[in-house]
Amino acid sequence: TPRHATPSIPTRSLPARKPENVLEEARARLHVSSVPESLPCREQEFQDIYSFVESKIMDGTGGCMYISGVPGTGKTATVHEVIRSLLQAAEQDEIPHFRFIEINGMRMTDPHQAYVQILQKLTDQKATADHAAALLEKRFSMPAPKKETTVLLVDELDLLWTRKQNVMYNLFDWPTRRHARLVVLTIANTMDLPERIMMNRVASRLGLTRMSFQPYNFKQLQQIITSRLNRVKAFEEDALQLISRKVAALSGDARRCLDICRRATEICEHSGQQGGTKLVGMSHVMEALDEMFSSSYITAIRCASLQEQLFLRAVIAEFRRLGLEEATFQQVFVQHQGLCRMEGLQPISVSEGLAVCQRLGACRLLLLEPSRLDLLLRVRLNVSQDDVLYALKAD
Amino acid sequence: MSKRKSREAHLAVGDCVAQVQRILRERFCHQRLPDRPVGLESQYKHLLELLRRTAVHGESNSVLIVGPRGAGKTMLLRCALRELLELQEVKQNVLQVHLSGLLQTDDRIALKEITRQLHLENVVGDKVFGSFAENLVFLLEALKRGDKSSSRPVFFILEEFDLFAHHKNQTLLYNLLDVSQSAQAPVAVVGLTCRLDVLELLEKRVKSRFSHRQIHLLSCMSFCQYLDAFRSELALPDDFPDSKFSQEWNLNVSELCEEKSVQEILQKHFNSCKDFRSLHLLLLLALTRVSVSNPTLRAVDILEASRMSSADSKANILHGLSVLELCLIIAMKHLNDIYEGEPFNFQMVHNEFKKFIQRKSHSIHNFEKPVVIKAFEHLLQLELIRPVDGGVCKVQREYQLMRLMLDHTQVMEALQRYPQCPTDVKQWAISAFG
Repeated sequence: TPRHATPSIPTRSLPARKPENVLEEARARLHVSSVPESLPCREQEFQDIYSFVESKIMDGTGGCMYISGVPGTGKTATVHEVIRSLLQAAEQDEIPHFRFIEINGMRMTDPHQAYVQILQKLTDQKATADHAAALLEKRFSMPAPKKETTVLLVDELDLLWTRKQNVMYNLFDWPTRRHARLVVLTIANTMDLPERIMMNRVASRLGLTRMSFQPYNFKQLQQIITSRLNRVKAFEEDALQLISRKVAALSGDARRCLDICRRATEICEHSGQQGGTKLVGMSHVMEALDEMFSSSYITAIRCASLQEQLFLRAVIAEFRRLGLEEATFQQVFVQHQGLCRMEGLQPISVSEGLAVCQRLGACRLLLLEPSRLDLLLRVRLNVSQDDVLYALKAD
Repeated sequence: MSKRKSREAHLAVGDCVAQVQRILRERFCHQRLPDRPVGLESQYKHLLELLRRTAVHGESNSVLIVGPRGAGKTMLLRCALRELLELQEVKQNVLQVHLSGLLQTDDRIALKEITRQLHLENVVGDKVFGSFAENLVFLLEALKRGDKSSSRPVFFILEEFDLFAHHKNQTLLYNLLDVSQSAQAPVAVVGLTCRLDVLELLEKRVKSRFSHRQIHLLSCMSFCQYLDAFRSELALPDDFPDSKFSQEWNLNVSELCEEKSVQEILQKHFNSCKDFRSLHLLLLLALTRVSVSNPTLRAVDILEASRMSSADSKANILHGLSVLELCLIIAMKHLNDIYEGEPFNFQMVHNEFKKFIQRKSHSIHNFEKPVVIKAFEHLLQLELIRPVDGGVCKVQREYQLMRLMLDHTQVMEALQRYPQCPTDVKQWAISAFG
């Protein structure tokens, strides 16, 4: 067994190409991965977290903080930025030195792996989960001379939930020990997570220092994009505004915003060859928005074969007749035969009808029971009836 | 010289037919890649451009290819990869990882497969060492060490993407998409699925990390294009050894397209299903009838193939039943009509059958009860009838409630086609259905 294998991806033979024109430059800057030095529109949150962690480090005490917010509102990025500036301050001896450790609930296979990862990052020691828990327990409860503060970031906290909640309990209990000097920052999506899934003794140890990140509004989103672009002139002003307004109205997710911008530059690049104006305009943005937000059910219905469309019409006809939102295949099939005759088509056999029904079920236009029920399988629509009628009528 | 050439140009008919069978079968069964995807130009361009940017510029991306079964998702991806790998710059640099939701049924297996295909350092030979947790940490560490400009880009290709969404916590998807959204080794995550609602399966933080690029393969093909596809699928290539034979064959195929009966059959197929896979099946069935004694494709062959592929499976089972079993089915159908689809048991069916014997026929169908039970159980085994409450319960066999799994039309059709159906049975059936 290779004991000390170094994990790495092989290197490429020649380095990746640098961006060549304005649009490629803009695209590289707009990629979600290129996090800027300082995050715009999160100054207040930055300040709060900074002062919390700084005060704990200065006092040599410990504490917990709970940070919540919907995905894509800059929680992890802000915390990373706080830590970066604290590390800088420690470098210049403005504050005492400290250790930073990060774990992520989604990056482990089992909640108890958290112990293993913390221990490994603290001491480079490998141990089983139980052993690691014991070692950490000892480390945090024993007084030690010249101990420095540890800042622990726990991302995706809700994944660390276990039936007995011992992982969460330990994480929040360690900072309360006298000699631990541990600051725990926890991040999750839901605001009321402590009340909802934690036992009382766990929630009370988490404490009341909480912070919630609000979804970005359209001005903030616009500011984020402008600051990323940073004088690269690739977008029209209106186009940016449209994107940010649209995203703010839907979710306020900055990742979505950046992805749409990136897609719009691509569309611009493909259409811009004859025009020569390399500026992303309204039309490109509209196309990108359409691509990423529109539901494809209606197009799917329009592109379905004739028998599939007839089957959908038969489903609706049968629903109307029954006054229910559910019918068996046999009932729908009788309607289908009738419709075939009305349209002047040759009626299809039951096997073919079932195949048509299964095809619609496979792409989830219909919701079906398992097909071994044969004639008795119940059929429901996954789209609203109005959508189906609209799609079938428009042509 | 000329003599040799002419000998080469004219193969025996048998050889020609063998060649035709070989070429066309490879096309229909092995899903050989076409030179360029037909009718999917914009989607192809989008995908190719995306993969090219990952390979050349080291930009991380994620994309989903969505389309109904048989719409050519894998074909599109393979074509794009084939064209991409022709570039010298890309060929040496790209690593590919192919996963399928049907094979990698949980994250542990998927992770081992990824480690194996990437040839990471904890792989010895073909075996991956370490536990599931260690593997995950190792892989993530490896990806994290990489950076945009210097490490080789990795293409993660996830077939049956929707099945990956059913894994516990969606850990694998979260991690792959997270890598694609952060400054680590450049990756392109390409998912292939036939479900239109695939985004609704993703957890919200996984969904937030997905770039929401979807390439839809919904073909709005017209019947003319379908006919063209039919022609080009059957046409022999230019490098066919016997040029005279191939010309005749291609001419014959074009003539077939013009023919009314063939067009009707194709129209019927086009109406029921637009994808190429069903067309391939039809053509394959027709191709099996081409032989030395019949070296060209005829309209009759296609007609026969269409008949075979559209036959109703239950009607075929019904033709093979005995007269007694057929009588029982008629009795069940009768009960269904009277009691409007309420379930029945053996006793009710038997009574109905006895009434028929007393009234109409005198001696021929007068069977003992055990014989009738046997016939009933045979129908149960064929799943032409189905117990209402799903099988085993304490009720005796004769009193267990059943449902008939046949449609009205299927029974009627079977009766008409049944070889040597006794007249009295036929009359009884017709009187029963009114």
